[in-house]
Amino acid sequence: MQSAFDRRRINGPEESSPPVFATEALEIPSGNAQKTRKGRNTSDIRPIFLQPGLISQANGSAYIETERIKIACSVYGPRQSKNTVYSEKGRLNVELKFAPFSCERRRAPLRDAEDRSIAVAIQQALLSSVRLEMFPKSTIDVFLVVIEADGIEGCIASGSIAASTALADAGIDMFGLVMSCSAAVVGTEIWIDPTQEESNLADGSLVLACMPALGSVTSVWQSGRMTPSQVLTCIEACESKCTDIHSVVAQSLLDSARAATTTNA
Amino acid sequence: MASDIVLPGQPIPLPRGPVPQLGRGIYEKDSQVRASLVGIPRFEGSSLAISRIRPQPPSPNSIVLGFVTRLSPLQALLSITVVDGVPLPPGEEFTGVIRSQDVRATEKDKVKISDCFRGGDVVRGIVISLGDARSYFVSTARNDLGVIAATSEAGVTMEPVSWQEMRCPKTGKVEKRKCAKPEGIP
Repeated sequence: MQSAFDRRRINGPEESSPPVFATEALEIPSGNAQKTRKGRNTSDIRPIFLQPGLISQANGSAYIETERIKIACSVYGPRQSKNTVYSEKGRLNVELKFAPFSCERRRAPLRDAEDRSIAVAIQQALLSSVRLEMFPKSTIDVFLVVIEADGIEGCIASGSIAASTALADAGIDMFGLVMSCSAAVVGTEIWIDPTQEESNLADGSLVLACMPALGSVTSVWQSGRMTPSQVLTCIEACESKCTDIHSVVAQSLLDSARAATTTNA
Repeated sequence: MASDIVLPGQPIPLPRGPVPQLGRGIYEKDSQVRASLVGIPRFEGSSLAISRIRPQPPSPNSIVLGFVTRLSPLQALLSITVVDGVPLPPGEEFTGVIRSQDVRATEKDKVKISDCFRGGDVVRGIVISLGDARSYFVSTARNDLGVIAATSEAGVTMEPVSWQEMRCPKTGKVEKRKCAKPEGIP
């Protein structure tokens, strides 16, 4: 316990929980009764707001917001790799941090274990899209901060999109833009882009990352119980959604590139 | 067609005929030419490229500026701050090394590093190889390469008097450096 403890921070109590108000109706998830999706069609994703170039200190950055998921991403480098052996290819370093207030329960800094596994999932999604052979001996650092989280699958998907946009904004050579989408199996239905509540109801979930411009898949991340046919349906549904997301990302990148050329001229 | 901004992965429409030479920011996969950067593809001479001015890591044949951080009898260590005219962001310098055999083109075996560089000197060099895990190999074996700015022991910026000497304008003392030939001198 003592090792993962930062004395420079104001450390809160070990355990804390939000207050429960008497007027608030306690929601009890009741078995099969809640198995129809509220507010959205099963094949709809949450609306995406994406803004490249928000963090001025970074070489490239992007901010993404899909309803309750808010992620800021910054890209630094390519810079010289420290303390590593000679390598012909560059290294892609992805780090993700949850803000302490990002989830329903407080995320303790340093003691959190989930951020590393999400960072690995995002790194896998991006790795085959970056032309690392262009950056010998160098490291590209991608830092993500989750300001608000709503479902792990959504975090991985939105984080990958934000990171790929930030890499494009930084002028890092890529084979294509990486888009990502999640899906969950709830009962017999497949719900695209599940929220935290919805993925709690789900039997299994899947996150697909692909490059729609090249028609290639960069990573598939699946957890829980799913039949092979459900997996294939999920992948197909996610792939078509990724094409939709690609147009959103393309529009925002084009807008920021046009804005940059007009201010320079 | 040529004035449109393309995105990474987007195919670049090309006129029929032989594929032009591909420059930066463009790649070919499955005989389809695609962009790998955001920008406008333009012809630079014979090659098609998306040029984007941003700090890049040094590559062989890039001209670098840096200052001398450390000297030893065999080599001088350089902190590279400018690559091909583009300054690197602060704190993201690359380290280069000038080995004694790379200081000048002739009489390589007679080179004494202490007679060529001093700590803090600003040096223009050319990257000759990616070097080892720690540093890039830099050479100053050309007339236009070498020390371009140095301060004397009195703390004054010196002026070059020959390719091997610099003079302090305050004290008139001559110090040894491997000087770069100033631009605009025949």
